[in-house]
Amino acid sequence: MGILLTKEIDNTVHDPTRPHELITGGQTFTSVTDHICGIVERPGAPKAWWISIGITASLAAVMFAMIAYLIFTGVGVWGLNNPVGWGWAIVNFVFWVGIGHAGTLISAILFLLRQKWRTSINRFAEAMTIFAVICAGIFPGIHVGRVWVVWWLFPLPNYQAMWPNFRSPLLWDVFAVGTYATVSLLFWYTGMVPDLATLRDRATSKVRKIAYGFFALGWRGSNRHWHRYEKAYLLLAGLATPLVLSVHSVVSFDFATAQVPGWHTTIFPPYFVAGAIFSGFAMVMTCLIPARRVFNLQNFITLYHLETMAKIILATGTMVGYAYATEFFIAWYGGNPAEQFAFVNRAFGPYAWAYWTMVSCNVISPQFFWFKKIRTNPWSLLVITIFVNIGMWFERFVITVTSLSRDFLPSSWGYYQPTIVDILTFVGSFGLFFTLVLLFVRFLPMIAMAEVKTVMPQQHWENKTARPVGDYHGTNPE
Amino acid sequence: MSSMNKSPDQAYWRSLEELGDKPEFRQFLEGEFPAEAAVPTDAVSRRRFLQLMGASVAMAGVVGCRWPEEKIVPFTSRPEGVDPGIPRGFATAMELAGEMRPLVVTSYDGRPIKVEGNADHPLSLGATDHFAQALVLELFDPDRSRHAVERHGGTEHKRSWNDFETYAAEHFGALRASGGTGLAFLVERSSSPTRAAMQDRVREVFPQAGWFEWEPLTRDNERSGAAQAFGHAVATNYRLGEAKVVACFDADLFQDHPTALRNAREYTAARRVEDGRMNRLYVVEAGYSITGGMADHRFPTASSAIGTTLLQLAAELTTKQGLDLPGDFGGMKEALGHAGHAPAWIPALARDLMHHRGASVIAVGSRQPDWVHTLAHLLNRALGNTGRTVVHVDLSDRNRPHHAAAMGFLADSVGRGSVNTLVVLGGNPVFDGPADTDMAGLFAKIEHTIHLSDFVNETSKACAWHLPRAHTLESWSDVRDAEGRYSVVQPLIRPLYEGRTPIELLALLLEGSPAAGHVLVRSTADGMLPVLDRETAWLKLLQSGVLTGSESVEVVPTLEGRGIVAGVRRGAAAHAPELGENNLEIIFQRDPSLYDGRFANNGWLQELPDFMTKLTWDNAAILGYATAEALGVKHGDLLTLDVGGRTLEMAAFVQPGQAPWTCVVQLGHGRTAAGRVGDGTGFDTYTLRTAATLDFSDGLKIGRTGRSYPLSTTQDHFAIDATGRNEREQRSHTLILEGTYEEYKQDPNFVEHRHHLPPLRSLWEERTYEGHAWGMTIDLNSCNGCNACVVACQAENNIPVVGKDQVGRGREMSWIRLDRYFQGEPDEAKVAQQPVACVHCEMAPCEQVCPVGATMHSAEGLNEMAYNRCVGTRYCANNCPYKVRRFNFFNFNKDIPDVQQMVYNPEVTIRARGVMEKCTYCVQRIESVKIEAKNEGREVRDGEIKTACQQTCPTDAIVFGDLNDETSKVAELTANERSYHMLAELNIKPRTSYLARLRNPNPELAESSDGHPAH
Repeated sequence: MGILLTKEIDNTVHDPTRPHELITGGQTFTSVTDHICGIVERPGAPKAWWISIGITASLAAVMFAMIAYLIFTGVGVWGLNNPVGWGWAIVNFVFWVGIGHAGTLISAILFLLRQKWRTSINRFAEAMTIFAVICAGIFPGIHVGRVWVVWWLFPLPNYQAMWPNFRSPLLWDVFAVGTYATVSLLFWYTGMVPDLATLRDRATSKVRKIAYGFFALGWRGSNRHWHRYEKAYLLLAGLATPLVLSVHSVVSFDFATAQVPGWHTTIFPPYFVAGAIFSGFAMVMTCLIPARRVFNLQNFITLYHLETMAKIILATGTMVGYAYATEFFIAWYGGNPAEQFAFVNRAFGPYAWAYWTMVSCNVISPQFFWFKKIRTNPWSLLVITIFVNIGMWFERFVITVTSLSRDFLPSSWGYYQPTIVDILTFVGSFGLFFTLVLLFVRFLPMIAMAEVKTVMPQQHWENKTARPVGDYHGTNPE
Repeated sequence: MSSMNKSPDQAYWRSLEELGDKPEFRQFLEGEFPAEAAVPTDAVSRRRFLQLMGASVAMAGVVGCRWPEEKIVPFTSRPEGVDPGIPRGFATAMELAGEMRPLVVTSYDGRPIKVEGNADHPLSLGATDHFAQALVLELFDPDRSRHAVERHGGTEHKRSWNDFETYAAEHFGALRASGGTGLAFLVERSSSPTRAAMQDRVREVFPQAGWFEWEPLTRDNERSGAAQAFGHAVATNYRLGEAKVVACFDADLFQDHPTALRNAREYTAARRVEDGRMNRLYVVEAGYSITGGMADHRFPTASSAIGTTLLQLAAELTTKQGLDLPGDFGGMKEALGHAGHAPAWIPALARDLMHHRGASVIAVGSRQPDWVHTLAHLLNRALGNTGRTVVHVDLSDRNRPHHAAAMGFLADSVGRGSVNTLVVLGGNPVFDGPADTDMAGLFAKIEHTIHLSDFVNETSKACAWHLPRAHTLESWSDVRDAEGRYSVVQPLIRPLYEGRTPIELLALLLEGSPAAGHVLVRSTADGMLPVLDRETAWLKLLQSGVLTGSESVEVVPTLEGRGIVAGVRRGAAAHAPELGENNLEIIFQRDPSLYDGRFANNGWLQELPDFMTKLTWDNAAILGYATAEALGVKHGDLLTLDVGGRTLEMAAFVQPGQAPWTCVVQLGHGRTAAGRVGDGTGFDTYTLRTAATLDFSDGLKIGRTGRSYPLSTTQDHFAIDATGRNEREQRSHTLILEGTYEEYKQDPNFVEHRHHLPPLRSLWEERTYEGHAWGMTIDLNSCNGCNACVVACQAENNIPVVGKDQVGRGREMSWIRLDRYFQGEPDEAKVAQQPVACVHCEMAPCEQVCPVGATMHSAEGLNEMAYNRCVGTRYCANNCPYKVRRFNFFNFNKDIPDVQQMVYNPEVTIRARGVMEKCTYCVQRIESVKIEAKNEGREVRDGEIKTACQQTCPTDAIVFGDLNDETSKVAELTANERSYHMLAELNIKPRTSYLARLRNPNPELAESSDGHPAH
């Protein structure tokens, strides 16, 4: 059993003579398994968990009530109007899809790049991806005027030979988000199989035995299993890597291929991807920082992890800021008056407040991460990442709403204001997201035990005898 | 209906009286069909409606025009010559305050669904205004009065016409015996010869009775002006086609004139540069009118100063420009000497008028006092315009007193206690009477009050008897137009309820027994029809809607020097009041949508954006920018208006182009008994309007309440920031291309040089269109923004009314809208109007983004909506640069009462909630003409297909046709050098092109860039 610490251990300073200590507190394989499984196996959830899920589930229920009201009454219950045909629903969709980006990036790209530190956070990030994509998926479905025929967006063979319009970016969205959700789910689940087997083996109740046993797919930890597993994982990582870039590129096409000034710009795909990674990492931090504290995971998700993520946020935040600047430059340099006005209007028009909220949160706030003190302090990290989340929501709001509210004909300019239904639906989507997160931390291992063990010092120079990679279900083989 | 077949001789033919009135028939119906009894009494059931429909089809079938063969047939026996589903048009007419509008009403299986102008009538030539377009909705208004009501004390009792007849037999029997002592009639103005004949009959039967005519909106000043100038009242009409220079002094010739539609048509025809014609329009007015919007020079001037301005013009013309006055006008020079210092533009206008003697017009509006009219008559005569561009015809009712005076007489008689029976035919004097006459109090003093009205309105509620009136489209009547032409009003449908017409009621009161309207009208008409073959002539009259040769002879009355000089002296002596912060001018104006308030319950008109303010569902106190700023008033503030101690809380509307220290208020809102649509909209400005200040008045004080009021406009939905304001104005110049006539003469292709386009390349292969390629042109030089097309489109295409709240949220559904931009300094702003509907792009951006292919191109180039396929992503609307797509945010067709659903055009789908809709180029009209052409084995002829907006347009600004047909009008206009595509730089290839507007400023005044002289 390792030592449980509530005090932060500073492992951010790298001693070049030693491999980087990614898991602190002298953890053993057993202590890792005990600690992570212990969270899930604890009989009876803590009161705080019940209170939290009570709140989040109520919010989720509010969202579903709002959706029911919407479906029975009409899209008019939202604040949409004639120039602004897309409002919070689409903003929320893009926002949640963006949040979902960190998971795959951590799982796939960092895996392929052999970034070992990813092992502590990838499970959580991947779970978040799934939940965020679930939240995201709700909005395009309900934002249409006739929800009951939304299946027409799918290319289903039918007797009338009516196909969707393959030129429409909304259709590409269906494919992109659908693929992304499927691959992310597979990736997450595949990676979790060994851990589920651990839980199955440790289970004491029949229900848990059956449930974990069912999902563990008969995992026995044999060499052949490990071999297949790692092949599959690698393949999935390879498959998921282009998706990291494609999903948000395709989402950005919704805007970029339209001719609305402020939407019609080629910078959108990279700019959206950078923004998505930026917001995804911010959300991972926002969730992980309290979680590591509550579940005493400081030895697993160390300051080094947080700092690394902060650096990514700094990098992508700066990219996003650069993209903002480029947009303005091109609007001026391109010489298209409609485009020029779209950007002047963003910064100085009726939505200037939203624009400057976005700039302050997205461009200015991550710059504090240049200071090591700030990027290694969980509290300041939490505050700044919340700001980044706010900023990224506003980015989507600014892009979607300000562009639409004033396009080509000034006669048709309008001003969009959300209604209470808009607001409650959005707040409710957080309820749904956190409900799923809470269920996840209660019932599934939030840290990939099997993977963490591969980056522990025991695997390497301290224990000269090479050990096969794998899970030992709580006991170190002697 | 088995019981109907019981007696063989009544197998199919049943009298309508039975269906309508007889209690035993009702009993039978209720016994036979218990469901009928369960239908709420305030709704016409479908079954009842079908019965009536059957009736009118039967009648329609007889002679190709509605004929009073009062029979009903079930649909099982189809009358000869009637094809179900084939719409038919019937000529009729409507009257608004005695001003007639010639109509052709489309009837669909006996159901009138669409109003058009009568192409055979010279005042219409097929065009109408928006009031006429909205008539069908009024017919099917579920709030229309359905039965007679008798009020005793505070309680009201449902009555039938039989009850009234019983009452009338006794009461009016006694009155007939006494020669009508204590009897008075308060009636609407009407040009109906039949009613005039009945009025004569009233004099015979009730020699003691009083006859008073009241209209809140009158041209009485014009009458007395003419009476002063000529010794008797004549009507003044214009031949704007002949005029090169038109100077309007507070005169809205294109909307507020009995021949407005013809004026607009002739004026625009006279500036069609392709025909080598161009004229010039000067407008002097306080607040923007339709005519002011068309002006080449507009000078915002307080209403009280307009007379002075004309005086200054007269002084300039006679003393400096050497205009000779016709005849001897002793003392005139002296009077003109008081004209005062003239603004800089007066000499320029005077020179322009002098150059175009005999081809100019000085028109004075009905709001100006009589002496201003007098002066205009003198100047027109001196300029040689009279008889050429300004013509006079005799008035049929020239001897009647002014409406205000008539109301005064009535009030006096009532005050003396000499009236105990008042018969009110139509109108709503309790609501729209002068504020200084306590109308409700007046009515309360009279023992027997009877009101015939379409609606149970404010006046009905003040009367002992309310009687339901037949709607115009249910009535037999007749009218004369402003030039005396005779037309017959024939019914399109049997009265839906128990309505009767004013002439029928008069006949009942006079003769003691009911008479059928068509008999009364026929007897009048017979007097005008040739004796030989009268029947054919009558049928021809019904068919064409106008009696040829019935127009009055133009008269050239002699000028009465004394009256004119006296009038001008009086005017010159009465200096215009000094206006300022504590003494503003209030100007009463008819509501452009509700007229005098009578259309308040008409949703189409309530939601029709004001032509200039774009305000819907409300009226407001319109103030200029500088005035509002000086008063510290912001747009939407709730103000207190105080004129002579009468106060009203009203919302402020800050509007460009408004003369300083003036405040325009529109009449007709603030109804309390209009119905479910019209109650409580806007503010009742009649409460500020006294008999002495029917037109305008100084002495207005404006205070702020500190509260604000939500105003729903369809443009400029919100207070705009400086960034947006600048951009809006700059961009308007690229959307609405304009040039001056000088520019055009130098370079007819100026539009091409104005419109620089980058090289345009298409993203994918362009389609080619063989066969038809439908397209449209809209001539911005002709469009005056009158709004008729907007209502016509609404009626044709079943466009829902969404209400004030939804308009405020930017969800109005109109398929065609009028974009209005102000340019230049706010208080002297020029205005530019542009009708915008779907332009049917060949490379339509909407089509590319729809994920389900619900909007696609037809082989003829129509951008079509498959409503059934639409999922409602609204992506198409986002990507439409013209923002013409409209989304059904709710089910806007829900809860429409059964009877109101009858107004729907069966050729056009009712759109469901959650789908997108937009202009279809009236695809149903295209298809019906194509089918007809195919059946006849011929090609579609150019001009045969008219879209609804095109058909009603008084200025022919809209032309539709086949662009592939090189000889078509639309192809010719598209090739015109003024033609351009709005937003052509997007390379979306719209099928609608606009023709640039040409302004023709006076070169003397055009020096400053904004077209206004430096003061």
